[in-house]
Amino acid sequence: MSVDGTTLYVAPRSARAEPLDASAARPEQSGLSRRLLRIVVGLVVVGVVGQSFVVVQARPEDLITGVHGMVDLLSRAMPPAWSESGDILWPSLETIDLAIFGTVFGVLMALPLAVMAAANVTPARPLYFLARGVIALTRAVPDLVWALLFVTAVGLGPFPGALALSVHSIGMLGRLFSEVIEDMDFGPVEALTLTGASRLQVFTHAVVPGVLPSLLGISLYRFDENLRSSLVLGFVGAGGIGFRLLTAMNLFQYQTVSLLLLATFVLVMAAERGSALLRRQVA
Amino acid sequence: MSATLAEPARGAETRLAVRGLRMRYPNGKLALDGVDLTVRAGELVTILGSNGSGKTTLLRCVARLLDPSDGEVLVAGEDLAKLNGNALREARLALAMVFQRANLVRRRSVLANVVGGTLGRRRTLWTALGGLPAEELPLARELLSKVGVERLGGQRADTLSGGQAQRVAIARALAQRPKLILADEPVASLDPEAAEEIMRLLRALAEESRLAVLCVLHQPALALRYSHRVVGLRDGVVAFDLPADRDADLHIALLYKEMAA
Repeated sequence: MSVDGTTLYVAPRSARAEPLDASAARPEQSGLSRRLLRIVVGLVVVGVVGQSFVVVQARPEDLITGVHGMVDLLSRAMPPAWSESGDILWPSLETIDLAIFGTVFGVLMALPLAVMAAANVTPARPLYFLARGVIALTRAVPDLVWALLFVTAVGLGPFPGALALSVHSIGMLGRLFSEVIEDMDFGPVEALTLTGASRLQVFTHAVVPGVLPSLLGISLYRFDENLRSSLVLGFVGAGGIGFRLLTAMNLFQYQTVSLLLLATFVLVMAAERGSALLRRQVA
Repeated sequence: MSATLAEPARGAETRLAVRGLRMRYPNGKLALDGVDLTVRAGELVTILGSNGSGKTTLLRCVARLLDPSDGEVLVAGEDLAKLNGNALREARLALAMVFQRANLVRRRSVLANVVGGTLGRRRTLWTALGGLPAEELPLARELLSKVGVERLGGQRADTLSGGQAQRVAIARALAQRPKLILADEPVASLDPEAAEEIMRLLRALAEESRLAVLCVLHQPALALRYSHRVVGLRDGVVAFDLPADRDADLHIALLYKEMAA
């Protein structure tokens, strides 16, 4: 790790040195052409930003006139409906469990895929490409789309949300896991192989202790991300706080909405802090 | 010290006999061209030579990390070059290897790393599942004290200094109860003081524990000070094989001078 740390430290320094060398290499460039280049670059940047304003139909004046509406909404959302605190316990638990389910099954399915998708340990070339394909597909399709697919397949409720998180996590975790395995230090593996240990012994005594902390850290981070995603998944009918939020919005129960937003905030912060704390423990 | 170096192993049991070893890489490069070499119990033999002379290839062929193209590698009487699969694994138990880097499992304790050396003869379901053979713990402690780091047993391997880590790696090699230790530039990443200590330890193991030690070094001075014999390798051929005394000094100077020219 310290070796990696050093190289990481060196890289930006050498990268910074490069443009200096490049400009020193051609000091003869005329001032006129350089000024022209700057004007062209400036125009391009302005053009790119400008077209984005047009395409998103930006209307800053609406934002100003809309302030009234927002203030009105906020005043109607205050104070949060504390009396309903008991009612949001179940959806909160549902949200947490969505993240737990999604992470656990994502990890379970990502592990074998990652072993197949790591170039240095893959058992066979065709499996490597197959695993890479599965990982790319599950990663590229957003969890919200997976949720829509699963809602269609198994109906409304938390289960399709949990499935969507699992499937999307397979891709995200599979890729990171396989990178950890590819970057693994092979010295201990070679050393234990030479002591006459069996392949399984080498795996459990050298490979597993080598990569386990990184895998745990990545999984905990995934849990944190899955919790945030699970809130959004509720909007497509996949249970949890998100679903309650959507319902309350549609029924104009703004005090309930503010309570749910508070609960969301607490959950996300707790998950973030908790997973960061645990990650430090396993590092 | 040099007076005692002369012939400590005369008449001792031959632990490693390399005969006519040739190694041609798939790209056609002939790295070893008929190497003969003997290491006896109680002997520390050092291989010297410039980069690309075939030192590391020789060591890796002996350990069968590479498959030699031709020749014999007799370790405790068994020809490793002709064995495969389980037979190779069994025969390889007789040799242990120490690398340039200690190659310890970083997040495990020092003691667990040393016990790792016993896995080859402790092939149980428990150890296959990642457990440590408890009956080997006393041996591991004894070996840690033998290499002079008995107090570090409970520490994690990634907290050690380079010299300490290399000592632990040697203890792991000893836990295997080998007849022959191969050391591939074991002091290349250590400071001069730690390098001397490791070489002193390797020599003591050869003399006191009657082990055969074959070591690749880049430092002629260390080789002369601690080996019983030095072997010069040039373009995959043994250029000299001499007791480590003044005579060898001249040959070594010649070996490296040619390289510079």
